[in-house]
Amino acid sequence: MIERAVRTVFTGLILAAALLAAGAAGAEEPPTLQLDVAAGKLPPLAQRLPKPPLIVDLKRANWTEGVYGGEMRMLMAKDRDIRMMVVYGYSRLVGYDEQLRIVPDILERVDDEGSRVFTLHLRNGHKWSDGQPFTAADFRYYWEDVVSNKELSPFGLPQALMVRGKGPRFEVLSETAIRYTWDEPNPQFLAALAGPSPLYIYRPAHYLRKFHPKYVGLEKANAQASAAGSRSWAGLHQKKDEQYRFDNPDLPTLEPWMNTTPLPSMRFVLVRNPYFHRVDASGRQLPYIDRVVVSISEEKLIPAKAGAGDVDLQARYLRFDNYTFLKQNEKRNHYKVLLWEKVLGSQIALYPNLNVDDPEWRRLMRDVRFRRALSLAINRHEINEVVYFGLGRESSNTVLQRSPLYRPEFGNAWIKFDTNAANTLLDELGLKKRDAKGIRLLPDGRPMEVVIDTSGESTEETDVLELIRDGWAKVGIALFSRPSQREVFRKRIFSGKSMMSVWSGLSNGIATPEMSPLELAPTAQEQLQWPMWGQYYENNRKGGQAPDMPEALELVDLYDAWRISATDAEREKIWLRMLDIHAQQVFTIGVVTRALQPVVVTNSLRNVPVEGIYSWDPGAYFGFYHTDTFWFDPKGRR
Amino acid sequence: MLRYAINRVLFMIPTMIAISIIVFTIIQLPPGNYLESYIAELQAQGESVDPQKIAFLREYYGLDKPLIEQYVRWVGGMFVGDFGYSFEFNLPVTKVIGDRMLLTIIVSGITILFTWAIAFPIGIYSATHQYSWGDYGLSLLGFLGIAIPNFMLALVMMYLANVWFGTSIGGLMDPEFIGQPWSWAKARSVLEHSWIPVIVIGTHSTAGMIRRLRANLLDELQKQYVVTARAKGLPPRKVLFKYPLRMALNFFISDIGSILPHIISGTEITAVVLSLPTAGPMLLNALKSQDMYLAGSFLMFLALMIVIGVLVSDLALMALDPRIRLQGGVTR
Repeated sequence: MIERAVRTVFTGLILAAALLAAGAAGAEEPPTLQLDVAAGKLPPLAQRLPKPPLIVDLKRANWTEGVYGGEMRMLMAKDRDIRMMVVYGYSRLVGYDEQLRIVPDILERVDDEGSRVFTLHLRNGHKWSDGQPFTAADFRYYWEDVVSNKELSPFGLPQALMVRGKGPRFEVLSETAIRYTWDEPNPQFLAALAGPSPLYIYRPAHYLRKFHPKYVGLEKANAQASAAGSRSWAGLHQKKDEQYRFDNPDLPTLEPWMNTTPLPSMRFVLVRNPYFHRVDASGRQLPYIDRVVVSISEEKLIPAKAGAGDVDLQARYLRFDNYTFLKQNEKRNHYKVLLWEKVLGSQIALYPNLNVDDPEWRRLMRDVRFRRALSLAINRHEINEVVYFGLGRESSNTVLQRSPLYRPEFGNAWIKFDTNAANTLLDELGLKKRDAKGIRLLPDGRPMEVVIDTSGESTEETDVLELIRDGWAKVGIALFSRPSQREVFRKRIFSGKSMMSVWSGLSNGIATPEMSPLELAPTAQEQLQWPMWGQYYENNRKGGQAPDMPEALELVDLYDAWRISATDAEREKIWLRMLDIHAQQVFTIGVVTRALQPVVVTNSLRNVPVEGIYSWDPGAYFGFYHTDTFWFDPKGRR
Repeated sequence: MLRYAINRVLFMIPTMIAISIIVFTIIQLPPGNYLESYIAELQAQGESVDPQKIAFLREYYGLDKPLIEQYVRWVGGMFVGDFGYSFEFNLPVTKVIGDRMLLTIIVSGITILFTWAIAFPIGIYSATHQYSWGDYGLSLLGFLGIAIPNFMLALVMMYLANVWFGTSIGGLMDPEFIGQPWSWAKARSVLEHSWIPVIVIGTHSTAGMIRRLRANLLDELQKQYVVTARAKGLPPRKVLFKYPLRMALNFFISDIGSILPHIISGTEITAVVLSLPTAGPMLLNALKSQDMYLAGSFLMFLALMIVIGVLVSDLALMALDPRIRLQGGVTR
C-alpha cells in the first residue's frame, strides 16, 4: 500500500519533470515517450530528430495538424500482409507526393545530373529506430557486403541498378553523401527508390554485421545459422534482412511505426518510431497515432468485420460489391465509407494470346483487323450500366484522364459499338462462311469459338463476359468462358494453350513520363497478351520466343530507348508513341475504367482525404496521403 | 494378445510410408509450386516481384531440385525431428504450429466433453422412452443438429451476437491477450470465448452420437438377457447401466480412432468462419498457398493420429469385449 503510494508520487514527479523538459525544449514530446525521456532511456526530442527534419505541411483541403494518441485498428488476411505497413508508412529515400512528383523524404536532397550521376544527401544526425546513426556506412554495407557478395546475391545487381548490363560506380563522398554514377542515363533509379516495395540500397549495417562472415568470421556465422535452423549463413542473413517483409522486430527501421510482433501471430502491434524524421509545422514529431494494431482474419470475413465497426481504416480486401452492405451499417457502427478511384487502365480487359499454339488462331490473333473487330463488337455502354451502375467510363485499355499522357484518341480508339464495321473487318479477313447457327467458320472449317480463360475468382468477370457474348454473337463469333484456378490459368496462358484470357488492364493508369513504360512492351512472362515474348526479354533474350511482329519489336526498341533517356521531353515522346501503338493495335481490349475502391474510415479519424486514388505504384495505397499525419479527434465523431 | 499388438504396431510402418508418398504426391499434383502461387498472389493485388529474390528463394528452398530428392529430404528430416521449413512464415514448421496446437487441443477437448455430457443422457432417455413425446422432441432437435451445416450455424450466431450483444465473436480471446504468455486472466478469457465455437462445432457430433447411442441401446434392450434380468426383479436402473448400456458402448470405443485426428483438426471450415486461431485454418491456408512442407507435415501428423487412434480403439475393444477377444483366437 505504502509502496504503491510512493510509486504513484514518484511517477507523478517523473511526469512533471518530463513535461518541464519538453516545455524547455520547445516542441512537445509525444506523451507515450515522455516517461522514457524523463527516465533517461531516450534522449530528448531535439537529439532524436535529424537536422533538418522533414516538415510535413500538406495543403490538402480539411487537412489540419493533429493531436497525439490513439490506436488504429486494421485487418489483414495473412500474417505475411504485415508488409502492408511498410507500404502505408511510406518512408522512402525519395517518394511521390500527391501531385505524383518525386520529392526527397529520408534524403535531404538528391542532385541529379542528366539522370546519369545521382548524389544522395542524407540528413545530418538521422537515426535508425534503435537510436543508431543512419549514415553512408549503411549504403556501403549494401553495396560491398550484400550485393557484391556471391552467396547473398548470386544473381548480381537488381534490374533497376543495371543499364545495358552495367552497374553504377559507387562512391562515398562523406558521412552523409553518396554518389552513384552510370555511363548512360538510368531514369528508373529514382522511381525504384520511391516504389511501394522499394529498391533498398541501404541496410542497417550495425545490426546485420552480426550475421555476416566478413565481420564475425565464417565459423561463427555458420554456427549462428545452424542454431537458428537455417541452412547457411546466407539464409539467416536473408531472413533477418527483410526491410520489406517487416517480419523481424529486431531489424531497425526508418518507418513511422515499427513492428513489435514476430510471425506467426493473429495480432500485430506496431508502435511509434521515436527517431522518425518527419515533424509537423509546429515542430512536433510524427506520427500522431501511437499504435497500429493489425489483426489477422479470414479474407472473406473482412468486409463483414469492417461493417461491424472492427476497423478504423480499411481498404484492402474490401470490394465494390461490399459497398451497399458497408453503407447500411455506417450509422450504427460510426464510420464512413469513402469511394476512392482505382487507377487500373481498365477494370476488365481481354487479352488475345498472340502466342497461342493453334496456328490458325495465332494467325488471326496477330491480325490487327481481327482484334479491332472484337473490340468494336463489345457494347461497353450496356456493360457499364448493368455491371457498374453507370459509374465507370467506357474506354480502351490505356492511361486514365488523370495522367498527363492521356489523349482522347487513345481512350476512344476502337471502342464504339459498331457491329457493321466489325462485320466488314471480319469479311475482309476472308471469314465469310457461316454455319447453320450463324457462326463464322475458320478457313479450315472449324466454327469460330473463342474460349476465354478466367481465373475463376470473381463473378464480375463472368458477368461482363456474358454481356460481351451477346455482342460477339451479332458478328458471328461464339464466346465460351473457361473458369479455372489462378495457377492453372497462368500455366495455360504461358504454355500457349489458352487463346484469350480476361484480367484487369494496365496496373498504372496514372503514369507520368518519368515512370517506366515497362508494361507496354514485352518485358515479362506475366503479360497475358504475349507471354512467350515477355519471357524472352525477362530471361535476357533466352527462352520463350523472340517477337516477330514489327509493332512489338518497335515497342521493345522504344522501351530500350526510354531506359537510357536523359530528358523528360524525350521520355514523353516515347510514352506517347507507345500508347499510340497500343491504341491502334488493340493488343489488349479494354472495357470499362474508373473502378471504385471502398475505404472504411472511422468517424473520429482525421486527415484521410474524402476523395482519393487507390493505387499501388505510384501511391503505395494510403502511403502517399501520409498516414503519419492521420490522427484521432478525442472529441470523437465528425 | 501381445503378439497381435506388436504385429499391429509393426504394420504401422509401411502404412506411414505409403501415406507419406501419397501426401507428397497429392501436394505436388496441382500445377506450380509455392513461389509461383506467391507471385500470382502478389500480382493479383497489383504488387510487383523482384525476380532476383525469387531466383534466390527457389534455389534456397531447393524447389529447383528433382521431386524424388525433395521427397527424400523431407522424409529424412522427419526422423530427426526436422519437419521442414514453412515458406509462408519463413520459419521451421514446428515453430509455426506450436501455440496453435495447444489452443486447438483446448477447444476440441472442451467440445468433446460437451458432446458427451449432452449426448449420453439424451441418448439413454430417448432409447428408454422410445416413441414418447420426449423422444420425438429430442430426436427432432438431433436431426436439426445434423441437418444444419456448421458454418451456417456459425454465421448465424455471429450475426445475432453482433446485433444483440454488440460483441464480435471471431477469435478465441480478448485481443490484448493475443501473443501474450499464458496467465490465469488469459485462460479465463479463452474459456469465455470458447463457448460459441464449442456449441457450433459440438452440435453436429452431439446429434450423431445421440442417434447412434439410441439405436445401439434399443437393439440391446430387446434382447432376452434384459428381459430375464427384469423378470428376476433387478431394479430398472441397475438393469440398464450394468448390462445393455455397456454392451451398447462398443461404437463409442471404436469412435476413439476418429476422435484423435478430430482433436487436431476436424473443423476447418467452422474455424475459418469463426476465425479461430486453431490448426484447421492454418492447414487450409498452407494447402492453398502450396506451402508444401507445412501442409505435408500437418497431413502426416493427422495420418499418424488416425493410425494410432485406430490402434488404440482396436486394442481397447479387444480388452473390453470378450466376444471380440475370443473370436480373434478362433481358427476357422
